[in-house]
Amino acid sequence: MTEMKDSILAVRGLTVDFSTPDGRVEAVKGIGLDVRTGETLAVVGESGSGKSQTMMGIMGLLAKNGTVTGSARYRGQELVGLPPKALNGVRGSKITMIFQEPMTSLDPLYPIGRQISEPIVHHRGGTFKQAKKRVLELLELVGIPEPARRIDSYPHELSGGQRQRVMIAMALANEPDILIADEPTTALDVTIQAQILDLLKSLQRRFGMAIVLITHDLGIVKHFADRVAVMRRGEVVEEGRTTEIFERPKADYTKMLLAAEPSGRKAPPARGAPIILEGRDVAVEYAIGKGLFGGSSSAFRAVDGVNLRLRQGQTIGIVGESGSGKSTLGRALLRLLPSSGYYRFGTTDISGFDRGAMRPLRRELQLVFQDPYGSLSPRLTVGEIITEGLYVHEPELSRAERDRRAIAALKEVGLDPASRNRYPHEFSGGQRQRIAIARAVILKPKVVILDEPTSALDRSVQGQVIELLRDLQEKHGLSYIFISHDLSVVKAMSDYVIVMKNGRIVEEGETDAIFEAPRESYTKTLMGAAFNV
Amino acid sequence: MISFVLRRLASAVPTLFIVVTISFFLMRFAPGGPFNLERPLPPSTMENLMRTYHLDQPLWRQYGIYLSNAVTGDFGPSYIYHDNNVAQLIGKGLPYSMELGFYALILAVVGGVIAGTIAALRQNSFLDFAIMSVSTIGVTVPNFVVGPVLTLIFAIMLSWLPAGGWGDGSFRFLILPMIALALPQLAVFARLTRGSMIEALNTDHIRTAKAYGLPSRTVVVTHAMRGALLPVVSYLAPCAAALLTGSAVVETIFTIPGVGRYFVLGAINRDYTLVMGTVVLIAIFVIVFNLLVDILYGLLDPRVRHD
Repeated sequence: MTEMKDSILAVRGLTVDFSTPDGRVEAVKGIGLDVRTGETLAVVGESGSGKSQTMMGIMGLLAKNGTVTGSARYRGQELVGLPPKALNGVRGSKITMIFQEPMTSLDPLYPIGRQISEPIVHHRGGTFKQAKKRVLELLELVGIPEPARRIDSYPHELSGGQRQRVMIAMALANEPDILIADEPTTALDVTIQAQILDLLKSLQRRFGMAIVLITHDLGIVKHFADRVAVMRRGEVVEEGRTTEIFERPKADYTKMLLAAEPSGRKAPPARGAPIILEGRDVAVEYAIGKGLFGGSSSAFRAVDGVNLRLRQGQTIGIVGESGSGKSTLGRALLRLLPSSGYYRFGTTDISGFDRGAMRPLRRELQLVFQDPYGSLSPRLTVGEIITEGLYVHEPELSRAERDRRAIAALKEVGLDPASRNRYPHEFSGGQRQRIAIARAVILKPKVVILDEPTSALDRSVQGQVIELLRDLQEKHGLSYIFISHDLSVVKAMSDYVIVMKNGRIVEEGETDAIFEAPRESYTKTLMGAAFNV
Repeated sequence: MISFVLRRLASAVPTLFIVVTISFFLMRFAPGGPFNLERPLPPSTMENLMRTYHLDQPLWRQYGIYLSNAVTGDFGPSYIYHDNNVAQLIGKGLPYSMELGFYALILAVVGGVIAGTIAALRQNSFLDFAIMSVSTIGVTVPNFVVGPVLTLIFAIMLSWLPAGGWGDGSFRFLILPMIALALPQLAVFARLTRGSMIEALNTDHIRTAKAYGLPSRTVVVTHAMRGALLPVVSYLAPCAAALLTGSAVVETIFTIPGVGRYFVLGAINRDYTLVMGTVVLIAIFVIVFNLLVDILYGLLDPRVRHD
């Protein structure tokens, strides 16, 4: 590749290697990229594509076992192999970064003002006191309310969106040429995501810096980027203008990614299908108490008077941002936490049921969690994990019979039955979620509550898991409550949607009605904030 | 903050009461007594002694007497060191133990944190390996071995330092016992620091600091070290209490007139009041240092607020 015109960051033949106990792993395999003045370049790929490691390599931020070779020239200056001291002159002033987790990316022990001042003081000289004026300007610029008060706040005193604004303030402090944003909104709610992206866009217009956006989310790319580089397994498979890539993708992988957006619909259950699970006036309260000696305690209503009826074969999607009470509602319906209200399972009133009384019903009411890493015990084999419920609910089963059921369940979720003697860490995220689903379906439940089951997965894997869930539903007449913040997934999965905010139902109705003609302004905001491909 | 301190001090009262009660009865249920000597005393003398010290009374009465006196600061007479009461014995010895313990604590914390930080920054290097090996030795070799070896080398063979005693109280006399006392704790601090420092260096906000071109000194000292010190600070309280209240072994080897010996000697001689006195002393130190450390923790970590 020849030097592109007005390229300010020219990457040529860049490789990133990691030496691991299993040998060398090539994360980035000699790629070329150009970042031009003032443009937004999106680097898109699924997990493990090397999109983040490319930038980490250029910025000298690889883990200790990583090495970078090749070339990355910033305005003619070679960055690869530059000694840390010289590199420090560039990073934080000419090229800055923001990261996915705004909570952990800021030092919890220092006020935000002090953290924003650090790159100013370091790169421009002066004292922290002198930098204060600039910090206040920056906080104002990124839309932090009451900057003079907030300057002394600690990261844990801010919301996720505000923390990301603080990171952006830090990134802008020295008026950079290039801002690298590594999944900047992945950890944020959709409405906050839209605000942060708008902010970045307007700041870019104002200051003219180039933005390198690393993301897995094609919706964001379409609305935000001028050019796109699609990465897969350490290589750039396609590069071009955003409109071209979306309208005329050339590489098969790009086509697959674009098609991986969840599609299809779920037909509503037959009319008059019996109600399988009902909750009336569901309320969950948490005491915000003080210690042994101190103060009055107050209560926080996480779920506040919700009514819900799930029919046999139905999927109710519960949509809402973090803190809306959607997960808490799911757990309350399963009687997994103290809550008030009336609950009915089939024809049984389960309102007053305690743990013991619920136990025989548990096999019919199953739960699948978001985090396929955290919800599988790392010390049990897959076979042990999925058959554990059988010990409780069908203790009389013989060993051979249990094994047969495990094989059947694994086949059902599309995993090799031979894998039942292996441990969870040997599986990918999507496979782990299949294991979690197998653990639920082996008990032949009637109701499965799916709490963000696809949120930790790559889009292409997400589509497969959704297919699987829909197949299982059809085959076994399952009823689902599908909790998610991801509207496109909810649209593909559910026939009825409930929109929640602050513990209450804002709006509910048939999926089509909600998506095509939302009535409430909050629902409209949510829909508007979700970028669709 | 003030209410936090007051609440903690108030909760110290029941803690002390429980410590006193348990150790009082444990001590009494141990076989033997302060006057059961190798050559038995004549019965009349024995009776006299028992009466003088209220040991002829029922146990609960003795307990009541002890408690009511202790509240006024009277910890009773020592049964063995007849010339002094317990408060005087502790009052005399404590300054020596505290001075020695203070230097040992400084050495342990400063040395341990520096060694641990260096090991963490050079993880898996020869230096890391060397520091951790030495610290393993520090933990495993008891100070009744370290003490005499130090004396042998620096006092007897090289004649650089005095072999023992307090002398005129100059620092020369303190060096060897200080090292012997500090070494095991220094090793613990080094290990703690290394572990938490390695963890701190791998956090996202350290990556941020590097990404913003901050010099590695700032990254390590300002950002990594402060977070890494939190677990170290937690260990500070029990360690300070242990060092400042003296060590029987070190004080015996280096013939230092501190209070550390009293705990062991008191226990062996069934000198009930002396043991009780040292137990109360250590308990008070632990409580006070725990409080100080919690306050310090709150200053270091804004997420922990004491209000």
